[in-house]
Amino acid sequence: MEKNKTNDWTNPMKIIVKVFGRYKDISGKETIQLDIIDGNTLQDVINAFVKQYPALQKDKNRMMVTKNKMFASFDTIVTQEDEITLSPPVVSGG
Amino acid sequence: MGKDRYRRQILVKEVGQKGQKTLASKHAILIGGGGLGSNSANLLVRMGIGHIDIIDYDTIDKTNLHRTSVFSEQDIGKNKALVLEKRLQSVNTDVQVKGINKKVTSKNIESLIHNADVIIDGTDNIPLRLLINEKAIKHKIPWVYAGVYETVGMVMAILPKKTACFHCITPTIPAPKTTEIPVLGSLPATIAAIQCNEVIKILLGKQPAGLLIYDVWNQCFDILDIKRNPCCPICGKK
Repeated sequence: MEKNKTNDWTNPMKIIVKVFGRYKDISGKETIQLDIIDGNTLQDVINAFVKQYPALQKDKNRMMVTKNKMFASFDTIVTQEDEITLSPPVVSGG
Repeated sequence: MGKDRYRRQILVKEVGQKGQKTLASKHAILIGGGGLGSNSANLLVRMGIGHIDIIDYDTIDKTNLHRTSVFSEQDIGKNKALVLEKRLQSVNTDVQVKGINKKVTSKNIESLIHNADVIIDGTDNIPLRLLINEKAIKHKIPWVYAGVYETVGMVMAILPKKTACFHCITPTIPAPKTTEIPVLGSLPATIAAIQCNEVIKILLGKQPAGLLIYDVWNQCFDILDIKRNPCCPICGKK
């Protein structure tokens, strides 16, 4: 989806992000409130989350992200009404 | 032998006589007989799944012993599937355990899974899981993903065309950087037990949960409700 950022941070919107697994432990919360602006994508949401919790830097490109209960690509545009979740990457060991 | 063996399980109202009989009539295919697979095989044989095929071409290594069940030091160098067959068949002669010493590939997978009622994931890599997913969806066979890493385990039961599939949840997952994955020894047994719960539920007709995420170190247990992706190239609604 094409980005249409205004880069106008004078009037940011609050978005609620639900976190899972060790992200809850690291953040000490089940939901995180982040600021977004019109045209922001899931990648922007992840960037803002990692900025708050730098310990999660190594997960930055691998997080499982859902928007409205569906997995979505990082370039998906988000709105304030969207239900966003962030979870640790899928694990592959056996 | 059979009735007495399962008496305590039959007392569970969700199973009962009828459920136990149903389990005895089912055929489970377990792909991978390592940390997850050996523990799952052990449980499923004891719980009375009628036919269990265990597929693995790998041999038992000393580094497997900290997280597997059934294997001993005397088994090092032997094929995992064949050791599991021998050991577990003696645990329960009411069921049929078959070890298959084969590498699962895109060429042979369909012949290996064609008569399965459920496929159980005991593999250790994403590409093989994607292959299982594709063929399971194609042949409408339910399967249960499980994976472990450090202290985190995940389980997801996949019902073809009913739940999200493995591709729905891994469209952007890059290949792991290392081949040797860190795993807490107790984790595969924990996650395999959760995986087997999902298997039993599927076989007895109960709707499975979503993606289960269990972090044993931080004591976080989460269920992520995931919808099917209508644009998924494997299970999409097109």
